[in-house]
Amino acid sequence: MRSVYLLTLRQLTGKWRLAIMTVLAAMPVIITVLMLHDESAGSVDQFEQAILGAMLAGSIAPLVVLAIAAAAFGNEVEDRTLANLTISPVPRWKIALPKLLATITIAGPFIALSALLTAHVAFIADWPATIAVTISAIVGVAMYASLFVWLGLVSTQAIGVGLLYIVLWEGFFAGFVSGARMLSVRYYAIALMHAMDPRRFATLDHVSGVTASIVATVVIGGFLALSVRRLRRMDVP
Amino acid sequence: MSTAIRNADHARMSSAPGTATEPVIRVQNVSRWFGSVVAVSDVSFDVTPGITGLLGPNGAGKTTLLRMMTGLAGVSTGSVTVFGEPVRDNPPLYRRIGVMSEHETVYGFMKGREFVTMMARLRDVPDVENAVDRAIELVDLADAQYRPMETYSRGMRQRMRLAATLVHEPDVLILDEPLNGADPRQRLHFKHLLETLKAQGKTIVISSHILEEVEQLADTVLLIVNGKLAASGGFRAIRAALNQRPYHVRIISDAPRQLAAAVVKLASVDAVHVDPDGALVVLSRNVGDLQLELPRLAQAERIGLRRVEPLDDSLESVFGYLVDA
Repeated sequence: MRSVYLLTLRQLTGKWRLAIMTVLAAMPVIITVLMLHDESAGSVDQFEQAILGAMLAGSIAPLVVLAIAAAAFGNEVEDRTLANLTISPVPRWKIALPKLLATITIAGPFIALSALLTAHVAFIADWPATIAVTISAIVGVAMYASLFVWLGLVSTQAIGVGLLYIVLWEGFFAGFVSGARMLSVRYYAIALMHAMDPRRFATLDHVSGVTASIVATVVIGGFLALSVRRLRRMDVP
Repeated sequence: MSTAIRNADHARMSSAPGTATEPVIRVQNVSRWFGSVVAVSDVSFDVTPGITGLLGPNGAGKTTLLRMMTGLAGVSTGSVTVFGEPVRDNPPLYRRIGVMSEHETVYGFMKGREFVTMMARLRDVPDVENAVDRAIELVDLADAQYRPMETYSRGMRQRMRLAATLVHEPDVLILDEPLNGADPRQRLHFKHLLETLKAQGKTIVISSHILEEVEQLADTVLLIVNGKLAASGGFRAIRAALNQRPYHVRIISDAPRQLAAAVVKLASVDAVHVDPDGALVVLSRNVGDLQLELPRLAQAERIGLRRVEPLDDSLESVFGYLVDA
């Protein structure tokens, strides 16, 4: 597992990719700072809905994770190096799991730092709220990562399909159609945030923390299992 | 020659009585189709220790067949087993198999040694450092092992990939176009390496478009044409099985037109013509008789023979014949 993990870390840390991720991750922080200095800025509730919910959990986090996760398998399928791994006597889960872990290792710190700084600036050192935002962001990263790693394995157009998913599902339907939220990663990430600090995030839609934790586990484990299944059955180029 | 005769010949050659060696790879009634395109159709053969060449024209289905033999691709129908076990979705079996695909599946950012080391670790090689040293030494790339692979020539990348394929000392080697990009010295080195591995009892399947080299290397040849096994066996056995096929023989002589007039009367000759360069080209369906009769005829006619050579004694011509048949 260590070999696949280290290989994937090296594959996914190209300069351009990291630069794009840095810019994306900095955006919520910059916008929060601008909002704080703007007298016509909205209320705290609006900030939580717009910046934490729609922007960080619904856009920035999935975009950053997509840029990394889709390439975890996608690049190997494209340049045909995946065969190096699949012709090794390694159980398929020992290929899929380190790919997922490497994706989280790279994308996680960007989003975690972005969430931490955004919450710290916005809530003026309200540490319970800051920690809740940061942890839920990391869980969101893990859920998105599992989904997009699988997507990179099943589609040669993973980036395009992933973008459609982020814009249409997470950004549009999950924001306006209440039933669609039940199938939205963003919704459960926010629910976790609420569960960890209900005082601060009382205004956000939520399910219980237990339910959100179970769903997060099912999403991460489920898409990981689908990746393993795909590795076992696919024709490796 | 009819397909039936070729198949019968194949059956005779691949199931010779008294052959004690158990097949290492068994391909049974394997077909593979992609949508409406049939890439491989009902192919069966056994592979035993030694070197087996998989040959056929482009698009014949060789790579699809090799990929099914390695488990990288699934079969539509039939089965592929290695050491009696299904090769598909059977990771533990890869401890005994080394696969080198036709594509340059390397990571450019890695140094050659890093690549071989990673492949050794993935295969649970006990003494990684020694195994990597040995594998890199085998392919004669010790001097370049600490260079990034993106700086390698194509031939060097192929050799480092071969080192990665050999690092766990597999019993079965499946090599798809391994000589791509190799220069003549590297080809010679590769030939010696394969002979060494063969002497160690390894089972090696090799495909290549360098037909002459496969002809020199392979003990057994599998001819794949249009997704079907057209023939199998030793190259000479295949040639013998095809002896009904007309041969073109080129003859350089002192008096080509006089020789043409005499040769055309032989029963073994179907047709003759004289090339613009003065060479006599004879079409014969019985080269054995022609070989005996031609020197006698030349002596009787007092014509000097300078050179007699087959024009189509190559695997390409066999492919062509099989495809056209």
